[in-house]
Amino acid sequence: MEKFRMLFQHFQSSSESVMNGICLLLAAVTVKLYSSFDFNCPCLARYNTLYGLGLLLTPPLALFLCGLLANRQSVVMVEEWRRPVGQRTKDPGIIRYMCSSVLQRALAAPLIWILLALLDGKCFVCAFSSSVDPEKFLDFANMTPSQVQLFLAKVPCKEDELVRDSPARKAVSRYLRCLSQAIGWSITLLLIIVAFLARCLRPCFDQTVFLQRRYWSNYVDLEQKLFDETCCEHARDFAHRCVLHFFASMQSEMRARGLRRDTAGRRPEPPLMPNGPDGLDGDGGSKAHLRAVSSREQVDRLLSTWYSSKPPLDLVASPGLRAGGLSHRAATVALGTRLPQHTDV
Amino acid sequence: MDKFRMIFQFLQSNQESFMNGVCGIMALASAQMYSAFDFNCPCLPGYNAAYSAGILLAPPLVLFLLGLVMNNNVSMLAEEWKRPPGRRAKDPAVLRYMFCSMAQRALIAPVVWVAVTLLDGKCFLCAFCTAVPVTVLGNGSLAPGLPPPELARLLARVPCPDIYDGDWLLAREVAVRYLRCISQALGWSFVLLTTLLAFVVRSVRPCFTQAAFLKSKYWSHYIDIERKLFDETCTEHAKAFAKVCIQQFFEAVNHDLELGHAHGALATAPAGSAAPATTDGAEEEREKLRGITDQGTMNRLLTSWHKCKPPLQLGQEEPLMGNGWAGGRPRPPRKEVATYFSRV
Repeated sequence: MEKFRMLFQHFQSSSESVMNGICLLLAAVTVKLYSSFDFNCPCLARYNTLYGLGLLLTPPLALFLCGLLANRQSVVMVEEWRRPVGQRTKDPGIIRYMCSSVLQRALAAPLIWILLALLDGKCFVCAFSSSVDPEKFLDFANMTPSQVQLFLAKVPCKEDELVRDSPARKAVSRYLRCLSQAIGWSITLLLIIVAFLARCLRPCFDQTVFLQRRYWSNYVDLEQKLFDETCCEHARDFAHRCVLHFFASMQSEMRARGLRRDTAGRRPEPPLMPNGPDGLDGDGGSKAHLRAVSSREQVDRLLSTWYSSKPPLDLVASPGLRAGGLSHRAATVALGTRLPQHTDV
Repeated sequence: MDKFRMIFQFLQSNQESFMNGVCGIMALASAQMYSAFDFNCPCLPGYNAAYSAGILLAPPLVLFLLGLVMNNNVSMLAEEWKRPPGRRAKDPAVLRYMFCSMAQRALIAPVVWVAVTLLDGKCFLCAFCTAVPVTVLGNGSLAPGLPPPELARLLARVPCPDIYDGDWLLAREVAVRYLRCISQALGWSFVLLTTLLAFVVRSVRPCFTQAAFLKSKYWSHYIDIERKLFDETCTEHAKAFAKVCIQQFFEAVNHDLELGHAHGALATAPAGSAAPATTDGAEEEREKLRGITDQGTMNRLLTSWHKCKPPLQLGQEEPLMGNGWAGGRPRPPRKEVATYFSRV
C-alpha cells in the first residue's frame, strides 16, 4: 500500500509526471492486450490481407484516441485554442507546444502495438502470404498457379490439412516472418534516431522561446486546475449558505404562523443559528470574495466571463471587467513596466 | 518499504544516480528482450547474412540511442554547448565529462545484447552456415560435385531443422556444434575484452588528471541540479501566479457586482472585505511571486536565463540592470556569505 502511495505521490508531483505516468500505464496495457489477444487468421484468399492489416492498424488507432482522451492536457489545449481573446492575447506557439506534447505521449502506445505486431510476425504473415512470389521457393515448381494461390493462402494456419508438415509452408512462413522482423526493427531504429536528433538539436533552435512556451503552457494547465478548485470551494460555500438560509427561513416561517402556542412542558428550542447569517464570518474572512457571488445569475455570469474574457497576465494592473476601469486600481500600469515590489491590491 | 523508499530517493537524487538505475534496468530488459525475441533465420542463401547482421547490430544501436534519449543530460549537454557565454564562461572539460558519462552508461545495454547473442549462438549460426568447411566436417568427396548455388542453398538451411535436407552431405548436428562453439568463444572473448577495458579505464584514470576530473564532476552535477531547481522554482511561481490571478478575478467580479448593484441582495456582503481578504494566505502567495507579476517580465526572465546565466559567484549584490532585466527582487538584500567560491 505504501509503495503505491509513494508512486502515486511521485507521479502527482507535477502534471508532466502525471501525463508520463498515464502514458506508461497505457503502454503496459498495450503489451498485455497484445499478448492476451488470440490471433486467428482466416486463411482465405481475400480475407487474409484485410484481417492482417486491420489488426495491424485498427487497435493502434483506438489506442491513440484513448491516449488523447486520457490526457487532460488535450482538453486544456482545445479550450485555450478556442477561447475568445478577451484581455489576454493568445500565443499560437503555446498551443503548438501543448499539441506536440499531447501527440507525443498519445503516440507511444500505438507505436508499441505496431512494433510488437511486426516483431512477432503473425499479422504480417497473415496479410502477405498470398502476395509472396512463388519463384523464390523451389517447392512450388510442380504446382499449378491456382493450387499455389490456395496453398499460399493457407500458410498462416499451421494445423490446416493441406499445409500440415509441409516444408514449403515453413519456408514461406520463415521468409515472411524474417521480413516482418526486419521491417519492425527498421521502424524502431528510425523512430529512435528521430527522437534522439530531436532531443539533441532542440537547444540549437530558439531555446528562449522554448523556455517561455514551456512555462506558459504549464501555467495555463495549473490555472485551469486552480480555477476548478476555487469553483468547487465556492459551490460548497454557496450550498452551505443556501441550506442554512433555508433552515433559518423555515424556522422564522413557523414562528410567524404561531405554531409555538405555549411554552409549558416544552423544552426551549435553541435558536437554529446563534449568529444568524453572519455566522459564517468566523469561517474565514479570506473567502469574502467568494461569498459575494451569491446568486445563480451571478455565478453564471462569472463563469461566462471567465470563458469569454480571461484576465490579463498582469497582477498589478487592474483586472477590472468594465472597460472604463471603475476600480481604483485602473489608473496603474500597462504591461511590462517595472514596479516597486510588494504589490498591494 | 523503507528500503524501497530509500532506494527510490537515492536514485532520484541526481541525474547520474537515476541514469545508473535506468541503465541497470535496461541491461536486464535487454537480456529479457533477447529471450523473448523469436529468432527466425530465413534459411535462404542471400538473406541469412543480412538478417543476422541486422539482429546483431540494430537492437544494440536502438538500445544505445534509447539510453541516450532517456537521459535528460543529453538536452542539458546540448543546451550548455549552445548557450551564449553571457556572464558565465563555458568549460569544455565539463561538456566532455558529461558526454563521456552519458555514453558509458548508455553502452551497457548494447554490450549485454551483443554478449547474449554471441553466447547463445543462433545468430552466428544463421550468418555463417554457408561458410562451413564441408570438406573437413562432412562428406568431402561429394562437395566439389555440387554447383555453388546448390551448395549454398543446401547449407543455408542448416539453422532450420525442419526443412534441412542435406544430411547426405553434412550432418546438421556437426555443423551446428561447430558454429556454436566458435560463437561462444567469440562471445566470451568479447565479454572479457569489455570487462578488461572497463577495468583499465576505471583504475588508470586517477593516475591522470584527477584534479581536473573532480572539478568537471562537481560542475556537471551543479549544472544538473541548478536546472532542476530552476524548473521547480518556475513551477512554484506559476502556481502562485495562477492563485493570485484567480483571486483577483473573483475580487474584480465582486467589485463590479458591488458597483453595479448598489442596493439589493449584495447589501449583506461586507463591502470592505476586499482589503482584509488579501491578508491571510495571500501574502505568502505574493512572496512566492518574488516580484514578477506580469507576462512580459516573466518572458524576459526566461530569456535572460538562457542568454546570460548568472555568474558562479555568490556573496555579491550583482547589478542586473546591464542585461536589460528589470530585476524586481524584493528587499532586503540578501547577504549570503559563502566561505569559498570557485570560478569555472
